[in-house]
Amino acid sequence: MASSSSSGLTFKLHPLVIVNISDHYTRVKSQTNPPPLTSTSATVNGVEHQQQAPRVYGCVIGVQRGRTVEIFNNFELLYDPSTHSLDRPFLEKKQELYKKVFPHFYILGWYSTGSDAQESDMHIHKALMDINESPLYVLLNPTINPAQKDLPVTIYESELHVIDGIPQLIFVRSSYTIETVEAERISVDHVAHLKPSDGGSAATQLAAHLTGIHSAIKMLNSRIRVLHHYLVGMQKGDIPCENSLLRQVSSLLRRLPAIESEKFQDDFLMEYNDTLLITYLAMFTNCSSTMNELVDKFNTAYDRHSRRGGRTAFI
Amino acid sequence: MNSVEGLVTQIQGLSSTASDVLSLHNVLKQADDSLHAESTRLLPFLDQLDPSKHSLGYLYFLEACTAGPVTTESASSFVLIIARFISSCAAEQIRLAPDKFISVCKRLKDQVLFLEEPLRAVAPMLAAIRKLQSSTENLTTLHPEFLLLCLLAKCYKTGLSILEEDIFEVDQPRDLYLYCYYGGMICIGKKYFRKALELLHNVVTAPMSTINAIAVEAYKKYILVSLIHHGQLSTSLPKYASTVAQRNLKSFCQPYVELANSYTNGKIADLEAYVQANMEKFGSDNNLGLVKQVVSSIYKRNIQRLTQTYLTLSLQDIANTVQLNSPKEAEMHVLQMIQDGEIYATINQKDGMVRFLEDPEQYKTCEMIERVDSSIQRLMTLSKKLTVLDELMSSDPMYLGKVGRERQRFDFDDFDSVPQRFNI
Repeated sequence: MASSSSSGLTFKLHPLVIVNISDHYTRVKSQTNPPPLTSTSATVNGVEHQQQAPRVYGCVIGVQRGRTVEIFNNFELLYDPSTHSLDRPFLEKKQELYKKVFPHFYILGWYSTGSDAQESDMHIHKALMDINESPLYVLLNPTINPAQKDLPVTIYESELHVIDGIPQLIFVRSSYTIETVEAERISVDHVAHLKPSDGGSAATQLAAHLTGIHSAIKMLNSRIRVLHHYLVGMQKGDIPCENSLLRQVSSLLRRLPAIESEKFQDDFLMEYNDTLLITYLAMFTNCSSTMNELVDKFNTAYDRHSRRGGRTAFI
Repeated sequence: MNSVEGLVTQIQGLSSTASDVLSLHNVLKQADDSLHAESTRLLPFLDQLDPSKHSLGYLYFLEACTAGPVTTESASSFVLIIARFISSCAAEQIRLAPDKFISVCKRLKDQVLFLEEPLRAVAPMLAAIRKLQSSTENLTTLHPEFLLLCLLAKCYKTGLSILEEDIFEVDQPRDLYLYCYYGGMICIGKKYFRKALELLHNVVTAPMSTINAIAVEAYKKYILVSLIHHGQLSTSLPKYASTVAQRNLKSFCQPYVELANSYTNGKIADLEAYVQANMEKFGSDNNLGLVKQVVSSIYKRNIQRLTQTYLTLSLQDIANTVQLNSPKEAEMHVLQMIQDGEIYATINQKDGMVRFLEDPEQYKTCEMIERVDSSIQRLMTLSKKLTVLDELMSSDPMYLGKVGRERQRFDFDDFDSVPQRFNI
């Protein structure tokens, strides 16, 4: 597998494709949980069990204009493990359907999941060559690596290289850019704000904001502690007295508190109390609703003479 | 005789470690009947045992000794012995035989009541509660006995200290009813009407499968305290009260409900006439004192109603509207209410005018912050407990069985038939 392609094509990938592939993979993975002892037909959709990481397969479609290839959409395909090929009639039927809705889109290639391109993928790649003479292979790596900053998506092209005197088709990696339509931008923005990238416990914007403030205050606290420790050491005589540092510390201390007046105290306490009261009210509502549910359940379970509610059958 | 002595030596030998105590417990359980048979001669053996080290054995002996009828001479000596035992016994050992301990304490209560000196048993009973409780949230059978003793001995403050604790676990429902009823009475005695209302409310809304006398009496007092504290009575019980209570309690307390109706009308003459007419009924329930307090509280209620209509009012007008005899009396009432914090007003003595003010609390102070903060913390612990209870209840098979039956036959979305019951 060479590292960069020389075909000179520029690739543009839409986020819809990435989200679709990831959704396909997640669906299949969650449907095969627990791993079937009796393999049922629930895993029909092109899944190959390889140590708990099923691979999914599908086609990518889009437009090629001159040297720019833009991948707009994709659909899933069935994979036949016995012949190591994708289900051809299904593909053609799907292609027809998509042609009706998107007349400009062509099949540009196929996609799969995994950590790296494999030899067996070449079979599928060659099989698709009669639809598109130079298909693309989009690979999504589903393992979550928190340290990684880039998208785990790679696009491979096939090139004919001479290796050991035998011309062979090998996969070469190509670079790509992400292109978004307005609708895609909005949805990606929406998803990005809901879930923070570090996967922490902060579930909402407010919590994220407060966590930020909390960590800032924590850092301030630890730095002041360091200063305090230093000053105590200086007082005891362990550390030689340095007047310039002392001047700096004293000027720092004089910066806070920023305002000291009675009106400020008043307003500050009032606002503090307001926030506390709102929290109290929220807790109250939460508690009351839990209590209400508990009482309802208790009444249903244990009260002998309660009305047997229950709606009659709707016909 | 031999068996008893043998038992004594066994107790003395086997009381050192926890495993020994367990085997001793089994021995004692088997020897229980023989002990009861010899109950009259067991007293001298008690001196050979040390209550702090041999608590379990001492407990069995003591229970057998006191099993007989109560007489004056035995009562006073037993009271001393039991009191000393309770104060010095080891809590882990007596928790192995809780019912014996409870019956010993009940005998103590009977004996002091026989001697008509309930005060002597208040402190020992409090110590007994502390030793028997597994945690401060646990309600034992001794709690209502203790409160009864406090009531009879009129030392309400000790009773109040127990009432401060929140209860989360209850051994027997009857304990809860009695505890809250006596607790309500103690609070009424100290004029803490809010807490009394809360406790009596607990009795009235506690789960019960059939109506019981404690709930009826509690409901009568509940009506009266609600009138004194709130000035009104809610006509229906909340939905978490058992249906048995919701249907039947009112019919048992008819005179009180009518008293509440005439109270809310606000006419003092009618109220007093009604009270006079039903004096014996209230008296037979020992509620006469409370009823008199209700009548005197109607003046307060009417003055409070005035604060909602007027900004300033003269004392003469107050006296007329509230049907008091003179402006002097009106002034006394208003002054008392200002001191109790029930209204906010200023009296101008020069021209006899009263100006009603708003609540001056600005919610700006640090004390207010601390109050709200501690309330939030309490609510958080309560919320956690409630979530745990909710989850327990959701997985309760009785609940799941009934909920399955009540669901619709057909699901709207896909017309699949919904299972009628869950096979668990």
